[in-house]
Amino acid sequence: MIQHRLRNLPRELAQPYDWTEFRRRARERAAAVARRDANARTTLAVAAALVLAVVGIAIWMRFTRSGGPPDIAGYPMAETDWRVFEGDAGSVSGTDARANAAERWLASLPTEPVVVRVGTRAAVTGLEDRIAQLDDYLSAARVAGVQPAKLVDVEAQRALLVRSLVQVRYAETLVSASR
Amino acid sequence: MARLGDIQIPRELLQKAAHGDEAAQVVVYTTTAPATFALIRRLMSNRAVAEDLFQDTMMTLFEKLPEFRGEAPLGAWLKQIAVSKCLMFLRSPWHRVRLRLENESEPEIAQGLGALITPAPCVEGLDVERALSSLSATARAVVWLYEVEGYSHEEIARLFGRTVSFSKSQLARAHVKLRDWFGSTRGKQSCTPIQSNGKV
Repeated sequence: MIQHRLRNLPRELAQPYDWTEFRRRARERAAAVARRDANARTTLAVAAALVLAVVGIAIWMRFTRSGGPPDIAGYPMAETDWRVFEGDAGSVSGTDARANAAERWLASLPTEPVVVRVGTRAAVTGLEDRIAQLDDYLSAARVAGVQPAKLVDVEAQRALLVRSLVQVRYAETLVSASR
Repeated sequence: MARLGDIQIPRELLQKAAHGDEAAQVVVYTTTAPATFALIRRLMSNRAVAEDLFQDTMMTLFEKLPEFRGEAPLGAWLKQIAVSKCLMFLRSPWHRVRLRLENESEPEIAQGLGALITPAPCVEGLDVERALSSLSATARAVVWLYEVEGYSHEEIARLFGRTVSFSKSQLARAHVKLRDWFGSTRGKQSCTPIQSNGKV
């Protein structure tokens, strides 16, 4: 009954507008899409420029900080120790006092070097990503019919990465076995 | 009146339209537009939204016409485009926000009373339309696709990106509501009564 009533409804209605209006709206919409794309491209370019600027400033700051000689003048231990040694420094020269202070400072350090353990996840993921990228590149090049001789360098690079990955994995296995 | 799915257009004309012949494109447009708009209007209660989707559908038709292989009637292909555009709209977050705003600001329009589209002389059609517009947008689309356009529950579920149970339950609930509607309006006047001063 419901189906019958629904099917009896008109199956055609007057078109909302004619061909000329349709064309006008289509042109308008195409122009709007083009404007939106242009805006998106501009936004992307500005964002990329900002990111580049931030990265550039970060790199510049890093190099300007680590480029010069280390600032040891303000090192607190040196200050303190010089004063201690200058108290009985009548017979000892300034150079000796400095050497003694340095030796004392070295003696205060731990005898064993500190071992810092770093997770291998980032290294493994990075290596795997780069291998996958090279695989993609090689596949695309083969499909495009590039001569194998021209891909030798890429294949060598890939082999190097695979070797590195094997070494990292091997190290992981050793560590897990030793625990 | 032609159902959209049955509309056929001669192959030569389609080829001309696909190659940018404006006269052929006008023929394709005038032949398919009324049924396409009717289908979209049945699925969308809001006229402005329906016009937008109609424009989208017809633009897609002319863009993709060179890819049309002619294995089915052009109308069937166009129907798929139109239905897919409408359901994409119904599934979009934008539509949900719009619906909420409408519910808050204009309850009458949200209930679909402003959505009647059948020409005035068809009195029974107006009743059926009122009944349809009492359903939610999703339920109306499910009812129309299942009962009139002949889609299966599996197809409707796929189009909505939901399960078959979703389609079945929407249809069952809609049926109950429509039966209630027709039961409660039986014996009442179908049209808006004419008042004593002659104004509608």
